[in-house]
Amino acid sequence: MIQDEQHPTESLILQLAIGLLFPFMLLFGFYIIANGHYTPGGGFQGGGILASLFIARYVIFPVEDIDSEKLHSLQRIFLAFILLVPLFFLFSGIITQFPLLRKPYLTIMDILIGIQVGFGLGVAVLRFAFFQGSGQTWHL
Amino acid sequence: MRIVLCSTLALTAFLAVTALRTQYNETLPPFLYDNIIATFETDTSAHNAVAAILLNYRMYDTMFEALILLTAIIGMQQFLPRQVDIEGGQQAADEEDNHDTG
Repeated sequence: MIQDEQHPTESLILQLAIGLLFPFMLLFGFYIIANGHYTPGGGFQGGGILASLFIARYVIFPVEDIDSEKLHSLQRIFLAFILLVPLFFLFSGIITQFPLLRKPYLTIMDILIGIQVGFGLGVAVLRFAFFQGSGQTWHL
Repeated sequence: MRIVLCSTLALTAFLAVTALRTQYNETLPPFLYDNIIATFETDTSAHNAVAAILLNYRMYDTMFEALILLTAIIGMQQFLPRQVDIEGGQQAADEEDNHDTG
């Protein structure tokens, strides 16, 4: 539980409920990403769920201590991999010569897209939240 | 006057296209649909046709869709003020004035 002089205190119910749900949200996001080529879902949807982790953290702890520049640079690195992996595997024709690589390719692309979308939406939400708050914390 | 002319033109075009559409109602056989449904599993070894289309048949679409998010965030970082800008805005403006006069 987070409670001290500088940081605003949110309600105990919210903190405990979101603290309890947090690992399950993480698990559900990665479940949707990893099963993207078997079940409905995939990178973009799972990335949205991963971004909801940032929102949940913001709801119970509205302090700007996540460096959104760092998240943005991580997102750009993952985007570079999203552009490079298909160039290397799909467009070069490697994947038609070795069909065993198809499933690892799908999984890798889903994971890359999921993490990229998660970071991207997280940066967007945090930027809007702390712009709207603009110095004042926002209580539920 | 210009608005009336423009809206009349748009409305006439819309009505003409709708009339043509109802007169010559042509439906193509869904050959692409049938082809993708029949072959996606052997082509891409994905068990989900949406994943097969997103990550194999239409890969360029997915790549540039991921790029859209980056563009949106770059736009937000350009146009939204940061907290530092709001707090230190007046001070920075004063310093700039002093620098100009000095």
